[in-house]
Amino acid sequence: MEQGSSTVVRAAGLEGRIARILRVGTYGAVTLIAIGVVAILATGRSPLDAAPPLEPGRLVGDLVALRPEAFLWLGLIAVLATPAVRVGVSVVGFWRAGDRAMATVAILVLVVILLGVVIGIAGPSPGTAAV
Amino acid sequence: MGIALLMLVGGVGVGIFGSLLGLGGGLLIVPLLTLGFGLPLRESIGVSLVCVIVTSGASAGVFLERRVANLRLGMVLELFTAMGALLGGLIAFLLDERLLAGLFAALMAYVAITMARPKPQAAAAEPAGGKAAELRAAGPPGADEEDGFIARLSGDDYTVRNLVPGFGGSIVAGVASALLGIGGGLVKVPVLHLLMGVPLRVATATSNLMIGITASTSAWIYLIRGGIDPYATGPTAIGVFVGATIGSRLAHRVDVRALRLLFTAVLLYTAYEMARRALGLS
Repeated sequence: MEQGSSTVVRAAGLEGRIARILRVGTYGAVTLIAIGVVAILATGRSPLDAAPPLEPGRLVGDLVALRPEAFLWLGLIAVLATPAVRVGVSVVGFWRAGDRAMATVAILVLVVILLGVVIGIAGPSPGTAAV
Repeated sequence: MGIALLMLVGGVGVGIFGSLLGLGGGLLIVPLLTLGFGLPLRESIGVSLVCVIVTSGASAGVFLERRVANLRLGMVLELFTAMGALLGGLIAFLLDERLLAGLFAALMAYVAITMARPKPQAAAAEPAGGKAAELRAAGPPGADEEDGFIARLSGDDYTVRNLVPGFGGSIVAGVASALLGIGGGLVKVPVLHLLMGVPLRVATATSNLMIGITASTSAWIYLIRGGIDPYATGPTAIGVFVGATIGSRLAHRVDVRALRLLFTAVLLYTAYEMARRALGLS
């Protein structure tokens, strides 16, 4: 029973950690996007204009140059990455709590997310999509 | 500048409306962007996916801290919603936009009819000390592997049932989320509550927790394939986030009955407009 209650306590700690990750990730992403929106408003761009495509190699340089799209892209990546980080932390938390089954489930969730990224990269370009 | 501000204000309105009615903003963001600002449907769905992740993120943390959301059950079902979202994300780029508009019109008409009907009584949760407590007391997981696993997914005062049908429902929720840019709560909450026997409060919180994984799986596909425009997403996402925050604070002070009627009318009108688009009449 002691081992069981220890697992429960550790899992409860995990919930607190995940809650912090969700909060920091969400507010951090919202801050980045808000900076990008202020920059859009300041430069008089229209949200209906086509934005430059995401080029990860140029992101740091564009951030330093204070380009609105750099803050927006980084904010969007932070939004999409936060749930995956939450699952990654869950893998470690469940594993440490001795819950191998839940750790395996969390790893499988990460694999499915990764598959989405791989399919996105390997799939046809937007121009070939049905319209 | 004017359009960016309009998108911001529109997002705030959608966020408040969605939050007050407990529907999230997903259902209204796509019509706002397609019918209001003329954005292509697929791009609006991509923007909507980002918005539902942002709005669910902060509240999911609160639900976890208050021990309302069931982290373990959510994680298991997320595996299936993510698989559904992966499938939906693939299909979304193959479907004609008119078919997507038709699907959206059908969803909006369904929700409008559901909202217009009187609410059924919530199913009673199993009282404290139910089967889950018995299963836990019976011994450590592994004594009876399946019962042990179900017990670990259950709460102190309820026992999860119909696990395998729940997996099927989760896949459907994932496909719907990826195709229509919604969080999928419309499917997940009934699956968790009515099918799996989870109390409504826990079902709502767990569904909210699952939105991040469900929507981000397909959103990655949209983002990488150029289906999410940052200029359109920025003002809308900030607006919806601010609106949802305001809505959650107003929720207990506002009589939502009149709002439900207004919402039903808005949904029926947008369903009509989407159906016209699907039929090539607009």
